[in-house]
Amino acid sequence: MYQPEPTAYLQVSTGYAMPHTLPEYTFDETPLRLSDGRGGSSIGAGGSSSSNAAATSALLYGTPLFSNTNSAGIGPAPPTSGSSTAPAPAHSHTFHHQQQQQHHQHPPQQHRTRNVARTVPSSVAASSSRIHQHPHQQHHRASLPILLKMEPNSEDIAAQEAAAREYQQHFEVHNLETRRHIHQSSACALDAFHFHSGPLIGKKTPSTAIVEEYAKADPIYVQKTMVLPQTYSDYRPVQGDGSCGWRAIGFGYFEALIKTRSKARIDAERQRLESLTPVLENVGGFPSYLLQDFVDETFSLLQKLADLANHPDQAMSALEEVFNTPDVSSCILYHLRMLASSYLKGNQDQYAAFVTTNTGVEGYCKEVLEHHNVELDHLGLTLLVNVLLRDAGFVLEVAYLDRSPGSEVNTYRFPEEANGRHPSELGPIIHLLFRPDHYDILYIPEPVDLQVHRVASFSHRYEIENSPMAAMHNFGGPVNMETLAMIPGFGTPTPGSLAAAPPILDTTPSPLSAYSPSPVSPWATAPPPYADPLQQQQHQHQQHHQQPPTAPMPIPMPMPASSAAAVAANTMSLAVSAPPQTHPLRFSEYCQLPEYVENNTWREQTLQTTTFKNSHFNVAHYNNPNFQPEEYKPESDDHHDAPPRASTRKRGSV
Amino acid sequence: MASQNKRIAKELAECTTSPPAGITITLPNDSDLHRWHVTLAGPDNTVYAGGQFGLIVTLPVDYPFRAPVVTFATRIYHPNVTNDSLGNVCLGPLKAENWKPSTRLAGVLEAVRALLVEPQPDDPLEARIADEFRQDRAEFEKNARAYVVRYAKGPVKFDAAVGAAAAGAEAAGGAATGAAVVRP
Repeated sequence: MYQPEPTAYLQVSTGYAMPHTLPEYTFDETPLRLSDGRGGSSIGAGGSSSSNAAATSALLYGTPLFSNTNSAGIGPAPPTSGSSTAPAPAHSHTFHHQQQQQHHQHPPQQHRTRNVARTVPSSVAASSSRIHQHPHQQHHRASLPILLKMEPNSEDIAAQEAAAREYQQHFEVHNLETRRHIHQSSACALDAFHFHSGPLIGKKTPSTAIVEEYAKADPIYVQKTMVLPQTYSDYRPVQGDGSCGWRAIGFGYFEALIKTRSKARIDAERQRLESLTPVLENVGGFPSYLLQDFVDETFSLLQKLADLANHPDQAMSALEEVFNTPDVSSCILYHLRMLASSYLKGNQDQYAAFVTTNTGVEGYCKEVLEHHNVELDHLGLTLLVNVLLRDAGFVLEVAYLDRSPGSEVNTYRFPEEANGRHPSELGPIIHLLFRPDHYDILYIPEPVDLQVHRVASFSHRYEIENSPMAAMHNFGGPVNMETLAMIPGFGTPTPGSLAAAPPILDTTPSPLSAYSPSPVSPWATAPPPYADPLQQQQHQHQQHHQQPPTAPMPIPMPMPASSAAAVAANTMSLAVSAPPQTHPLRFSEYCQLPEYVENNTWREQTLQTTTFKNSHFNVAHYNNPNFQPEEYKPESDDHHDAPPRASTRKRGSV
Repeated sequence: MASQNKRIAKELAECTTSPPAGITITLPNDSDLHRWHVTLAGPDNTVYAGGQFGLIVTLPVDYPFRAPVVTFATRIYHPNVTNDSLGNVCLGPLKAENWKPSTRLAGVLEAVRALLVEPQPDDPLEARIADEFRQDRAEFEKNARAYVVRYAKGPVKFDAAVGAAAAGAEAAGGAATGAAVVRP
């Protein structure tokens, strides 16, 4: 979890470079540091960082539009930070921040605390920052909430370390879980604390909670959980009482049925399961009058869901209620066990070789499948998928969170035919998270959430803009643009260009990550003497990462708001709407500055469209007023087009 | 809870309408389906023939997902039943690792009866009796019959203090002849 640097804002806004303060904010390379790059985009999307971004943007522009846009799309962002932060006048605001920066120069130990605090999920961090009342907040209504996190608290470190020590213990203990139900072991207190508490089926929770839980674990777990929220937005904890696998699949099955919103389909499932009941009796060998009690619960639940087919919310709460009623949910789960057991007994030739006990199929059914609260193993999973999910058209995808090498969890689909196929070819997918001996339910973002995700990445830019310390490694461009906002007269166009910029950046992430100047500022607007400072600036970006880009900039040529927005919104129009002046400095293709070359190739990509080539905006087009035929250059075809293009940008006129 | 009681009621109905051989079931308290009093007649052709053995079946609140508890209310000389006032039984299907929610109570009671027909000295609760059963069958049968005569004649008492009552009866030199105490 990356927290934006409050002081960065100061440096940018005042134009003071304060290199002597930098070591204070340079963090050690620890495993937790992994969160900066990857977690920043994924996890940071949901929490205090974005809210801080919202707060800052509110301060910058004083427009509620911005803070609303940010805090609205990002889910758990605390609403207070965005909305309650009243914009202060720009000059006094700067002054306050200066004060605060000096005030917040803490000894290194406190920064360590902050490092630890990064792993706290955003929601927690945000709430704790609200609880801690920093004295300065009383004076500056405009102060950023993040400053409150800098409270020194050495006890936190001790607590974290203690928790980390206990963590391995917990996992060893956890492996005994299955046995625990047979031989009550007092050593399982920790296990009970983790997985045996809470409801049988928990509430849908942002999956960043898993990141938090594993933040203190082995680095492989840290890395794998760190990227988990990128794929799976939410998860639902399942109580680990020995039936969690059965419970997770059962719940996922009913939930998938609810999501179909089809009464006909739910009724069809009920009929299918009812038709399997005689199989339970004849093949499974269960006494009919006893199995009836178990299956009746399933059927009454299905009936309830069918009646609520058009009200998914009510159906979901009904489902949660049923699954959290112990005897009812036990009956439903036992129905699943009987189904799996009967399926095994009916397909012995196919599965007998995979039986894990040495007592044969009968013994396996008796000891594992039909035994209440014995964990679902791989064979049981396969059987249950085949008997319950496959005919319903559902696919089970299990994400295995274990210590196997790799940076992401391994996923595997059941039935196995579903592996390697695109999700759109498959039916509804039930996602489970497997950690040793435990299953939870995962959720990928739903289509509605996709939009939210886009907004989240948008606000992520803000986060970066407020934190040049780490972000300038990766994104030079957005910072440049932000600094334009500090210049009087640029306040208005910048929001437009900012708002439009992220889509451009999103489409070409990798070249940008090395370096790229803003598509707006240097090329289109800079007057001649600007060229050299630009290059200095590029070097300084890479060397210091805090060099305020505005500092060396002379009075810039104001860019009309409309053209700025248009430029940013559509790269094609860059050539069109740029001021029709001739740029005296032409970067030749022989200019071998790495940044330039890289930058140039990036720009080439954006302009190499057929539409552009065939239009009169291309100087190589005979309709162009500055028509200049292309010349054959033997060096390379790639570089061939570059010079005429570059001049097009300067000369192209509307 | 409702479904659970339904299940127990069904099983009770099964056991009372078509009970396993030599078994009668009563409920000490009609409103409590979780405690059954079972009277088991000693199977013929065994050392226990002629005796009436009281069994207390206690169904846990999360029955059928946890095994019922069966104890002998009547003292019995048997390798698989503790030779004390508790009367704990070592019964395979009732062990936690063997219990299945689909096990029928009638089946459990039949298993108890089968245990009287054929003791399991290899899985004993009373090692001394098991040794005696294996090595000195005559002595075992003599002791078992003596216990039947001493404790298992006459009406079955399901009193929780069955041990104490039995001790008193023993002191009196014969089986208890007083009014049967049905309610604990």
